[in-house]
Order: sequence, then C-alpha cells, then structure tokens
Amino acid sequence: MAGDKIESVKSLFTAKSAKVETNKGEEYYQNLYAQCRERLDNLKKIVPVSNNIKIKEAIEEEGVSRRDFLKWASATTAMLMLPASFTPLVAEAATLMNRVPVVWIELQDCAGNSEALLRSDGPTVDEIILDIISLEFHETLMAAAGHQAEKQLEDAIETFKGKYLLFVEGSVPMGINGQYGTLGAKGETFIDHLHRVAKDAAAIIAVGSCATFGGIPAAAPNPTDAKGVMDVVNGKTIVNIPACPANPSNMVGVILHYVLTGQLPELDSLLRPKFAFGYRIHDNCERRAHFDAGEYVEEWGDEGAKNNFCLYKMGCKGPMTFNNCSIVRYNEGVNWPVGVGRGCIGCSEPDFWDKYAYERPMANANIKAPTGGVEKSVDEFGLGLLTAAGIGIGIHAAASAIAGKKDNQGEA
Amino acid sequence: MKKGYKKVERMTSAMRIIHWINFFSMIVAIATGLYIAAPYYQTLIAEPAVDKYVMAWNRWGHFMVAIIFDVTSIVVAYLYFFSRFEKPYKKVLPTAKNIKEFFAVLVNLITLNRSKKFDSSHSDSFNTVYFTIFHLLLLLMLFTGLQLYVEGLESGLSSIGTWWPSMLHIATDWTIPFSHFLVGSSVQDATIMDVRIVHHRFMWLIIVWVVFHIYYQVWRTIFWQEGDIAIAFGGSKYVKEDKKAEN
Ligand code: HEM
Ligand code: HEM
Ligand code: SF4
Ligand code: SF4
Repeated sequence: MAGDKIESVKSLFTAKSAKVETNKGEEYYQNLYAQCRERLDNLKKIVPVSNNIKIKEAIEEEGVSRRDFLKWASATTAMLMLPASFTPLVAEAATLMNRVPVVWIELQDCAGNSEALLRSDGPTVDEIILDIISLEFHETLMAAAGHQAEKQLEDAIETFKGKYLLFVEGSVPMGINGQYGTLGAKGETFIDHLHRVAKDAAAIIAVGSCATFGGIPAAAPNPTDAKGVMDVVNGKTIVNIPACPANPSNMVGVILHYVLTGQLPELDSLLRPKFAFGYRIHDNCERRAHFDAGEYVEEWGDEGAKNNFCLYKMGCKGPMTFNNCSIVRYNEGVNWPVGVGRGCIGCSEPDFWDKYAYERPMANANIKAPTGGVEKSVDEFGLGLLTAAGIGIGIHAAASAIAGKKDNQGEA
Repeated sequence: MKKGYKKVERMTSAMRIIHWINFFSMIVAIATGLYIAAPYYQTLIAEPAVDKYVMAWNRWGHFMVAIIFDVTSIVVAYLYFFSRFEKPYKKVLPTAKNIKEFFAVLVNLITLNRSKKFDSSHSDSFNTVYFTIFHLLLLLMLFTGLQLYVEGLESGLSSIGTWWPSMLHIATDWTIPFSHFLVGSSVQDATIMDVRIVHHRFMWLIIVWVVFHIYYQVWRTIFWQEGDIAIAFGGSKYVKEDKKAEN
C-alpha cells in the first residue's frame, strides 16, 4: 500500500490536466477528416465479422425515424467535440459499428451497465447501436454456458487477436488470491480471467464505477480488496467510463470515436475521455443560480424542493464531480439525477461510495478520521480538537496562575 | 521607561501591517469557508435569485482573502531569508544551539516559567518553529484551495487568459495524491474530494494554532513581564537590562 501511494504521488507530477481543448484549429480538423474518410472506406471493405445486421434497418425496425437518427448523429458529433462538418462521417461510422469486434466480460458487478443498455422501454439510438455491435462474447447475454461459453471466448480471442475491444464491467477482487470471484467450469479467478482476455485486446474499456475505480465493492472496509482494472492490468491502453451506471451515450461515444478515427479519445489523468468527463456537473447544472443565491433545499419535500432550489445542503456533490450528466443527461436527454430533485452522489469519481454518496455536505459527513478508526463528521472532529486544545490551555493557565501567586508570596 | 529595562524593536511597521491583515483575512476565510462548507444561514425566499447572490458573495470573499494570503505569504517567505532581524530560517535549522534553545523555551512553558534560561530579546527558536508551522499550514491551505478553485476553470479559460489555469494545474495538481495520502482509503485512486476534506480539516488545525498563539502571547506578556504583546502593536518589547541583578 505504501509503495502504491508513492507511485501515485509520482504519477501526479506527470498527470495530464483536465483541460479540454474544444477547438484545435482548421488544419487539424482537415487532416482528421481525411484520416477518418480513409479509415471508414477501409472498414467498409471488411465483411462484418459475425453479424450482418444493418444499422439502418435495425433502427427502422425499432421505429426510430431517419430524421431522429440524423439528429442523434449531430448531437453525438457535438458530444465528441468535432465540428458539424463531421456529422455525415459520424452517421456513416455508426453504420459500420459491427466491423469492430467486442468482447464484454463481467467481474464483481451487478450487471447494471449491461442493464442500462438493455432495459429502457423505448430503445434509444445509442442502445440500438450497442445492440448491433459485433458482440463476440457477453456472459449475461449469450445463450452458451459452461464449457461451450469457454470455447466461444477462446475462439473470439483467437480469431480477433489484437483487434477486439475488451469491455470490462465490475471490479477485480484481489483478496485471498482472487478466490472471492471465480468463474467457468475451471474455476478460473477473475484476476486470471481478466489477464487472459486482456492480453490480446486492442484496448480495454472499463465501464461503470466498479471496473474503473473499484466502485461499491471497494467501499470501506473493502472486504474483497476490490480494485479497478487500471490498478490491476499494466501495459495496456485503458479507457475508463465511470458512473453508476455508465451513460450509454459515453460508451457509444468511445466506440464511435474508435471506429471513426482508429484512435481512442483524449483522456484525463484518471483515463476518462475528456469529451465526457472534462465537465464539472456543478458548472452546467440548471440549479446553479440557486446555489449562487444561497437558496437551498433544507429538507426533502420542503418549499425549496418544490421550487427546484439547489441540492447542495442535501449533499449534492456536483461541485466535486466530473461527468457530462448535466449536459447529455440519461435516456436520450430525458432527465438526470439533479433534474429529478436529488443530489449528485459523485458516482463517476474514485471512492464515491465512501467520499461522496452521503446525503449531506462533506462537512457534516461521517468520514473516517485519519487514524482509520472512528467515523466522525469533519466538523465534530475539528471541534473536538479545539476543545482538547482549549482544555490544555485552561489547565496551563490555571496552573500558571497558581504557581505565579506562590512565587510572589515567596518573594514577599 | 521603567528602570532596568531596555526597548528592543522586533517587528517593522510593514510586518505589523501584514500581521493584522493576516488576522483579518483569517477571520474572513474561516467565516466564509464554513458557509461554503455547509451554508449555515438561510436567505429570504421572497427575493429573486439574482439579487441575493449569498453563496456567490461568500465565495467571492473567500477568494479575495485567499489572494491576500497568497501575496502576504510571498512577502513572509522573503522575510524568512532577508529579514533585518534574526532571519527566521536561521532559527529553524536543527543546529545544536537552536535545539537547545527550543527545549529551553518549551521547558520554561511547561514548568510554568520556572526556568527562564534563554535570551528573550530576539525571537527564540521555539516561537520561530511555531510560526513556521503556521506558514506551512497556510501554504497547504493555499495549494489545496487553489486546486479546488482551478477545478471550476475546467474549460481552461479564465478572464485573465489560459496561462492562469495552466499554471494553477502545474502548481497544485500534486495536492490530489498528497491529500489522498493524508485522508487515506482502501482505493488507490485519488480524487478532488480528498483535497476538499484536507482543506476543511486543516482549517481546524489552523484554528487550534491561532488559539494557542494568542494564549501564548498573552501568557508570555504576563509571566515574562517584558511586554511581549506590544510587538504586534507597537513593534517593540522590553527586556530586562541586567538579568543577574534581578535575581
Ligand atoms: C488569526 C489570527 C492570527 C494569526 C494567523 C497570527 C499569526 C502570526 C504570525 C505568523 C506571527 C509571526 C510573525 C511573522 O512571522 O511575521 C505572529 C506574531 C505575533 N502575533 Fe499573531 N496572529 C494572529 C493573531 C494575533 C493576536 C490576536 C495577537 C494579540 C493578542 C497576536 C500577537 C502576536 C505577537 C505579539 C506576535 C510577535 C511574537 C514574537 O515576535 O515573538 N497575534 N502572529
Ligand atoms: C487559510 C485560510 C483558509 C481557510 C480557513 C479556508 C477554509 C475553507 C473551508 C472550510 C472551505 C469549505 C470546504 C468544505 O466544503 O468543507 C473552503 C472551501 C474553499 N476554499 Fe478555502 N480556506 C482557506 C484558504 C483558501 C485559499 C488560500 C484558497 C485559494 C484560492 C481557498 C479556496 C477555496 C475553494 C475554491 C473552496 C471551495 C469553494 C467552492 O468552490 O465551493 N481557500 N475553504
Ligand atoms: S444542485 Fe448540485 S450541481 Fe446543481 S448547483 Fe446545486 S450543488 Fe451544484
Ligand atoms: S449526477 Fe452525479 S451521481 Fe448522478 S449519474 Fe451524474 S455523476 Fe453520477
């Protein structure tokens, strides 16, 4: 642990800042455009790896109009921070999504990210696209089980060596040599499973807070010693798409970016794509005016709550959280947590369960004292410290006063 | 002047001005900081949001005193090396002489002024170390505070140009893992919440520091009988001219 901390301090000095460059200049985009055009033409020549579903047909079958699809394409172009002229390329890339093989494994998780993709009542364009990507292996979704499933995975790794994107959902339990989580007929530990599948992947996309930073399984006291993928796998390109669940728009954004440019998007120091995690919730929140005015919801259902006041005093962690929910929202822009009247719990940040997800401001939260033992609110801890100092001073003052008097008597 | 006493200058007027600016800034920083942490008074609901701006004013006040702290800290850092009195850096080096003096003063404090065996005409090692602790605490507040501040400039833009957020990132990004180290957790990835927790906890350490500082200056004044508290006001104190004659 101490070694890890030294490492993390070292990595700090090389950390990339969270700065987002939204305009990289005419020339850059012209070159990028040409590059993308070439890449798409090449991809078109490849026969879809295993499924032949056409996105256009799939979308029509689901009852989404061409107009809606183009609207989606321009919104996604903007989300990826590309100029509007890229919209046709993005639409085209969407139709070529099944050219990139994807392997999706689940570790210590609730399958919430898979559910987020699959379980909405009207599928959104993002979800349809995720449905038709060339998903070579997905434990929850596929029909095969046991040895068959194992075989299918081996085949996928073999066939698409170095080409597939590996999606990982769930944290890696490192405790008792990984024995907290095993899978398959051979009882392979999650650690070995991850290493085996990661070895030949083109890149790893960790989706959800568990796969990225350990998430809820890693919450104190972290019984299984859960860790995120980037803390377990070395020497691989990793993209983190945290949040609980990860927003399907951001997952599609990353795959699309890869299909379109052949590269992964620009990342911040926590390996999160900047196009999604370069924004602070608080700075794009519709309740921000109430924050600045000092108008807060004091209690669930009070007058402030009815008037959409800021949720800061109910523990909103928007000021400390980087994610694009306040911009792209969920379920094709329908709504997002603060919009429905509850605060942000910082689900896209490391350690969110312990350090963000309590329904009161940080000052009043029970966070472990530095000694690791007692949980006390930060202010209680501070007042305790002050009281201790006060008592010390009181004793010293009283003792000085008495001792001083005796001195004087002695002199007299 | 009372007979047998000699006046010694200890703080120039510039140093005293800095001292009282710091005093004022600290009160404001604590009052506004606590409001930012958990707004402790409510605003009237009848007014439109744009007119009230209560949190925004609190943050404005907090940032203004923060900038003042920034500037005074630079001056204080300068004085550590170039002060025309005993240069403070010479008093915090762990030399045999300094260590001896440090413990002499500490022992005197613990034994309730029974063994005043050190020269009190200049700033002693104990006090200098104590002030150095304050400056280090303040520095940490500055760096963590600026880190919290630059998080709000995530666009990389600012009213004074892009160099400012870039510079702040270079200067303060280290506080993220450092704070994570101080706060601790089972997860190895640091976050800005760690910085915020540290910023808040260290405010309490500073408050404790201030309470003892004021107590100690008053205690010294009463027991040493050399008018120490006047240093912060008039700039000078008195020392007994001939200690042996006194005994
Ligand atoms: C927020 C409150 C305060 C802070 C942060 C503070 C900080 C400091 C610092 C940093 C110094 C060292 C001077 C230097 O290095 O330039 C100092 C000296 C001093 N302060 Fe304060 N101070 C505070 C309040 C007070 C108050 C209320 C008093 C008077 C009752 C006081 C009396 C003194 C005295 C007498 C010295 C000179 C000590 C010496 O040179 O031996 N301070 N203070
Ligand atoms: C030494 C004096 C200081 C004290 C006592 C102090 C205290 C505090 C406290 C208690 C908070 C609330 C943290 C929470 O949420 O619990 C806070 C927030 C903050 N402080 Fe300070 N602080 C000091 C100096 C600074 C400095 C030098 C800066 C630099 C710019 C700064 C910038 C900030 C920022 C940006 C916040 C977050 C406010 C927001 O954006 O919502 N502080 N401070
Ligand atoms: S609700 Fe949360 S994110 Fe929105 S302004 Fe208030 S504190 Fe910021
Ligand atoms: S608002 Fe906050 S808690 Fe909610 S999904 Fe977004 S980042 Fe997570």
